[in-house]
Amino acid sequence: MQPQLIRELEALLGPKAVLSAPEDLMLYEYDGSVELGSPRCIVFPTSARDVAGIVRLANRYETPIVGRGAGTGLSGGAIARNGGMVVTFSRMNRILEIDAANLRAVVQPGVVNLDLSRAVEHLGLYFAPDPSSQKSCTIGGNVSENSGGPHTLAYGVTANHVTGLELVLPDGELVRIGGKNIETSGYDLCGLLVGSEGTLALVTEITVRLMRKPEAVKTLLAVYETLDDTTESVVEITVRAITPAACEMLDGFTLRAVEDYVHAGFPKDCAAVLLIEVEGLTEAVEAQAAEIIEVCRQHRAREVRAARNDQERNLLWRGRKEAFGAMGRISPMYYVQDGVIPRTRLPETLRRIEEISRKYDLQIGNIFHAGDGNLHPLILFDERDRAQFARVVAAGGEIMRHCVEVGGALTGEHGIGMEKNELMPLIFTPEDLALMERVRAAFNPAGRLNPGKVLPMGKACGEIRVPPMPASATIPT
Amino acid sequence: MSRPAQAAFTRLEEIAGGASVVTDGAEIAVREVCGVRPAVVVRPANAAQIAEILRFAAAEKLAVIPTGGCTKLGIGSPPARYDIALDLSRMNRVLAFDPHDLTLGVEPGVRIEDLLRTLAEEKQFLPLAVPFSDRATIGGIVAANSSSPLRHAYGAVRDFCLGMEFVTGDGSQAKSGGRVVKNVTGYDLHKLLIGSLGTLAVITRVNFRTFPMPQAQGTFVASFSSAEAAFDFCRAVSHSVLTPQMVEVANPGTAALIFSGEFSARVEPRTWSVVLSAAGQPAVVARHARELGHLAGAADAEEFLPLTEAEADSVLAQIREFPKLMIERAPSAAIFRISAVPGVMATLLEKLRVLAAQSELDFVSLARASGIFYAAFLPQKEFSETTPSLLGIIAEVYRACGQPEMQASAMLEWCPTDLKTSAEVVWGPARPDFELMRRVKHSFDPQNVLAPGRFAGGI
Repeated sequence: MQPQLIRELEALLGPKAVLSAPEDLMLYEYDGSVELGSPRCIVFPTSARDVAGIVRLANRYETPIVGRGAGTGLSGGAIARNGGMVVTFSRMNRILEIDAANLRAVVQPGVVNLDLSRAVEHLGLYFAPDPSSQKSCTIGGNVSENSGGPHTLAYGVTANHVTGLELVLPDGELVRIGGKNIETSGYDLCGLLVGSEGTLALVTEITVRLMRKPEAVKTLLAVYETLDDTTESVVEITVRAITPAACEMLDGFTLRAVEDYVHAGFPKDCAAVLLIEVEGLTEAVEAQAAEIIEVCRQHRAREVRAARNDQERNLLWRGRKEAFGAMGRISPMYYVQDGVIPRTRLPETLRRIEEISRKYDLQIGNIFHAGDGNLHPLILFDERDRAQFARVVAAGGEIMRHCVEVGGALTGEHGIGMEKNELMPLIFTPEDLALMERVRAAFNPAGRLNPGKVLPMGKACGEIRVPPMPASATIPT
Repeated sequence: MSRPAQAAFTRLEEIAGGASVVTDGAEIAVREVCGVRPAVVVRPANAAQIAEILRFAAAEKLAVIPTGGCTKLGIGSPPARYDIALDLSRMNRVLAFDPHDLTLGVEPGVRIEDLLRTLAEEKQFLPLAVPFSDRATIGGIVAANSSSPLRHAYGAVRDFCLGMEFVTGDGSQAKSGGRVVKNVTGYDLHKLLIGSLGTLAVITRVNFRTFPMPQAQGTFVASFSSAEAAFDFCRAVSHSVLTPQMVEVANPGTAALIFSGEFSARVEPRTWSVVLSAAGQPAVVARHARELGHLAGAADAEEFLPLTEAEADSVLAQIREFPKLMIERAPSAAIFRISAVPGVMATLLEKLRVLAAQSELDFVSLARASGIFYAAFLPQKEFSETTPSLLGIIAEVYRACGQPEMQASAMLEWCPTDLKTSAEVVWGPARPDFELMRRVKHSFDPQNVLAPGRFAGGI
């Protein structure tokens, strides 16, 4: 990178806000995925004006720009694939306003997801999207990836909770779209921007909805002897149109790893469990819980127990949310997928994943958002074994193709990024993709913002990218 | 018909079939958009025909507006050009309904009434209690982003639409999203089509998630002597643990309109009325009846009434049809659709009422506690005399909404065409994000074939 650009960035932001030494850059080569990419410099803006200045400089030097929150993303969204500059939002981490009366908060993009919920807890409020990485991931990152989490089953993903954004466009212009009001006349630009994976603009301020905590919460753990009984229970819950706030499934393999790590009281000798939560008015919760218990028993759950208090509840959820971390203890690396299927196709899909696991001789753990059909098969591997890694990629592709075949999608909440962009033609026609290209160009004509993401580049059509050398696992907590 | 027009007619017949190209006067008249009439109505059977029609239109520099039930063609600015009305009534199939998965895929010409009936057979529904429900189609409801009181509990189309297929202005058949309930694969282009008034693409399929019908339902009316008291009550409800399905605040004028028939004797129409419904297990409804009553009492309600089923049906229908009722009653009314946070609604409504009073206009409003309200200014005299004052008021309304303490977004959803003297009248003053919208428009419809001039920012 031109030393002149570094000097200009330092003049703009101060020397402490620019990193360009190789040992500093290494920390920004990876995210939560298995991808790698080396930036040439890292900048730390503290205001939208800084961001606009950075973008204008990057344009002058024709340097790619990649926005980054906490780097917990699982599809390589925050990786500088083509080198260039990483704009890290960790110093734009202030909650600017809490408007409890109107159930809104205005935050900078670097605010950590859970920090917002904690800041409004005393008001009986919270921010609904709850990705497993919520202790560290940022709301800016959530906006970029349209992140989900277990409770999106009832409350929706990030897009359902964002009403306004302040953007820095790739030409350095600052624009506001939406606001605190629930809708704004004109095209729904917020709807487009949320989930655009940093390819259309850099987000410098976010207005989000806050939700009121429910009166009652009941957390159930249903324990099964077979995978089929487990998945059939999920189908039946959906068919009966019971709407739990969350419905998570952990298979026995994953469960044993989790239990050894978290000691949440999960049974270690079962095929799978469902972790189901119902929320709302006490009366609604009791009625729904009773119906869920009935469904689970009908499908031969050997045990259905309810968390007796907040401590037990938190422990169960800790088990769920730290499952990826637990995997890190038993395998040097894992590759997590994010396919979605129609919920009624869950039993056959889990059987298919078992077959794929046998076919490629790979250990695959399943821990996922069963209630909305969002799978997270975790394929374990050792990155030193290149032959094994090739099988991992092939197995991953096969699972993905199955999801597409049954009418599903490539990603439910992790994003396309640089991991799955070459798989986009499995879902989208050249016409679909050409339109997406045109929309990207409408915002980002020079392609300088987060290049090589979301849309296929056509080099390896229909394949998951095989990284040159997987990064060591960064584990979302 | 002139020779070039005749050639165009022939080509359209080739594409859609002879019986599907119509120049009948009545068919043309019903598809008039703000005083502009098309030369021809074409009824395509599928997306491929639409693509061909649009490519033909682009080549011939003809303008096209998609139509469904023709109930909301009055929304938006008058089109700069309008040659072909694309009547989607032939595309009226339910393509996929998987009640076990609670998902649905439909063509744009399906009427909401028919669709809700189909869903009801499986004890499911879509939370689209929208106006013109006897004729409105899914395509039109989505393209106009019709407001539903049920948004309070279920969200709007943007929240429960899973994906769409559509044909862009250049004749490309494209799609975004999908059929599963959770999906971040690619850009959510379909969200741009919601409320786009047919200016970006012709919708050919919409996928939704469906919702289970609640076991029981209860509807209640609380009446108050002032707007402040009514909105204080709404705030108390929203800060409670209660989970109503809808919370609607009717000003006295609106109350008189929606509490019609025998029921009017039970509600004093000179008061501010809050209509709420609760749904779910019977115990949940019973609890709402109890606690909403307490909250209403604590907010000095003059009355709190549970409605009978028949009364509830009547009141909910009137609330659903509010814009239609207003237009029928006062064709020259100016009806704003305004989105504002609940905290400023009472103040903003009072400002608007004062504006109306100063110009000797009647003012009625219906506010959804979810953050959207209708505000209607009705001339007391003949329309021609009030036009200048209405134009003045329209500018004042946008000014009031634009105040930093209000942060409200307004559009003039309904008004006589004569009033639509500029895009600003319909869409409000130009905003910096209009430029982004123009770029989006260009990427969907580079030759400006679809409803040119009908949208915000002159799009």
